[in-house]
Amino acid sequence: MRLLFVVTVLLLTGLLGVGSKKAHSDGDFEDNEFAEFEDFDDEEEEGTVVEEDAEFPSESESQGQAASAGKNDDDDDDEEEEDEGVVETEDDEFDHMMDEEEFIGFDRDTRAGKGKPHDVPDLKIAKVPIHLRTNWDSFYLEMLMLAGLGVYFLNFLAGKTKNSKLAQAWFTSHKTLLDENFSLVGDDGTSKEVAGGTLMKESENIYTLWCSGRTCVEGMLVELKLIKRQDLINVMATLLKPLADQIVVKVTMDPAMEKFCFCVANKKSIAKLHKEQTDLSQFAEKKGVEKYNIPSSFQMLSEIPEASSFILDKRVCSALEQYESQIEYIHISDQYSGPKNQYDDAQTKMPEVTPSLVFCFNVPGKGKTRVSDIEGTVVLMKLVFYCVDKVSRMSLSKEARTKAERNRQKAEEAFLKLAHSQRQEAAQQRREEKRRQEKERIMNEEDPDRARKLEEKESKRDMKRKQARTKMMKVKGM
Amino acid sequence: MSSSTPFDARRPNKIHRYKPKDTNAPGDDPTPDYMNLLGMIFSMCGLMMKLKWCAWCAVYCSFISFANSRASEDTKQTLSSFMLSISAVVMSYLQNPQPMTPPWQ
Repeated sequence: MRLLFVVTVLLLTGLLGVGSKKAHSDGDFEDNEFAEFEDFDDEEEEGTVVEEDAEFPSESESQGQAASAGKNDDDDDDEEEEDEGVVETEDDEFDHMMDEEEFIGFDRDTRAGKGKPHDVPDLKIAKVPIHLRTNWDSFYLEMLMLAGLGVYFLNFLAGKTKNSKLAQAWFTSHKTLLDENFSLVGDDGTSKEVAGGTLMKESENIYTLWCSGRTCVEGMLVELKLIKRQDLINVMATLLKPLADQIVVKVTMDPAMEKFCFCVANKKSIAKLHKEQTDLSQFAEKKGVEKYNIPSSFQMLSEIPEASSFILDKRVCSALEQYESQIEYIHISDQYSGPKNQYDDAQTKMPEVTPSLVFCFNVPGKGKTRVSDIEGTVVLMKLVFYCVDKVSRMSLSKEARTKAERNRQKAEEAFLKLAHSQRQEAAQQRREEKRRQEKERIMNEEDPDRARKLEEKESKRDMKRKQARTKMMKVKGM
Repeated sequence: MSSSTPFDARRPNKIHRYKPKDTNAPGDDPTPDYMNLLGMIFSMCGLMMKLKWCAWCAVYCSFISFANSRASEDTKQTLSSFMLSISAVVMSYLQNPQPMTPPWQ
């Protein structure tokens, strides 16, 4: 029993010993590394290289490192053997291999793996991938990227706050005036109970306010189109080309409004408006502003001269003169439908129109807007109300009304014609397509009987069509 | 110009509720949509072709898209694009911890 026990213990120790040797021979860096440190002081440099290798066991280059480390180990082993004075058996055993006469073309000098190296072997240190923890400097591009993101984010916060501040300042300064003119100021349309005081945020740079409950007016939508201060790219673009914050006021009038189209705008915007706005392109024409006392930077589009002279009275003209840089355009129309839909040329029905007054104001400051600048726009809102009251009181002469009516009828007829011709074209195309498909079916039909039947059907249909046409011609001739 | 009208113009019985505009006409600012799409393309390029600079561009694009986004838009889309770009960056660094090399080197 005791003997058995001793034998098992011996066996186990033997197995362990073999196992550990195997581990050693598998290239376990740590043992060799420590062994080096213990025995050789001048090999510490190599040791550090190996140490770094040990930190990357999962690297794809680990094998390369293992090879180089292995190579280092081999060299070390050789030197170790040397120092201990172990006789190199290689030479003794294989001396006959070194015999020049024995082999043809044998070159003693090119033999590899010979014992003692004459000089320090060139250690090929494998290219170790730089690790984050050891070498921050090389990640400067990443640092730059992160810094850029940080700057963008900070700008986002700053811009968002500034825009919000400007919008709130506008709302606070205009609230009194709006409350005097509307029973509902600031509705978001979602709450069950009609409650005001909501300045809606469409985006970080667009704020809207809806007001309703006034005589002759259905509602008024004020859009604060501020500069995109929250977007760093826009901020830089604005530095190159300064833009102004804009306030767009759209007043939707009662359907009882007089029929006319009118627009007075900055030279830069007038051409764009004439081209893009459906109603202005259809009804209004460019007219001179010489007889009105307004700055030359403004131009006018008008349909009914009587209406334009009614609108451009002394007070409006003086406002245009005083706030020349702040008024972008004033667009009054009973056929307002917004800009033309560029993607939908083939419109099947006329766009929906609402009688509206649209005012576009530029906030002074050209980008570098201060809260005081925004507060100064109250006077422009007063101009809005003045114009609204004026338009609601307007009463055109009979001729003007007839002219306007005629223009609108002409426009409608032209539109219907266009729509009709488009529909006809579409129908014709569909018919052609159907015929083509029938013909294709006949051609593809393999069974001759069926093909014959289909052909007969087709010819019958053609005959019918021809008959119908001749009948129509006969009726027309009669 | 006097602001106060001689009579009260308010008509409480003529109140119309606000009707939000239809989901944005194409004429509206398309920046957030373009940037979103661009961000996703860059993320996919960065992930598939293991290009670090693509992944970083994707992060920037999704940030710009977020900054320009409208309040009515779904935040889920912007957030998912953002997450995708972050994952693209992380994956490219996990696969290859080397720092980025500028094109002039």
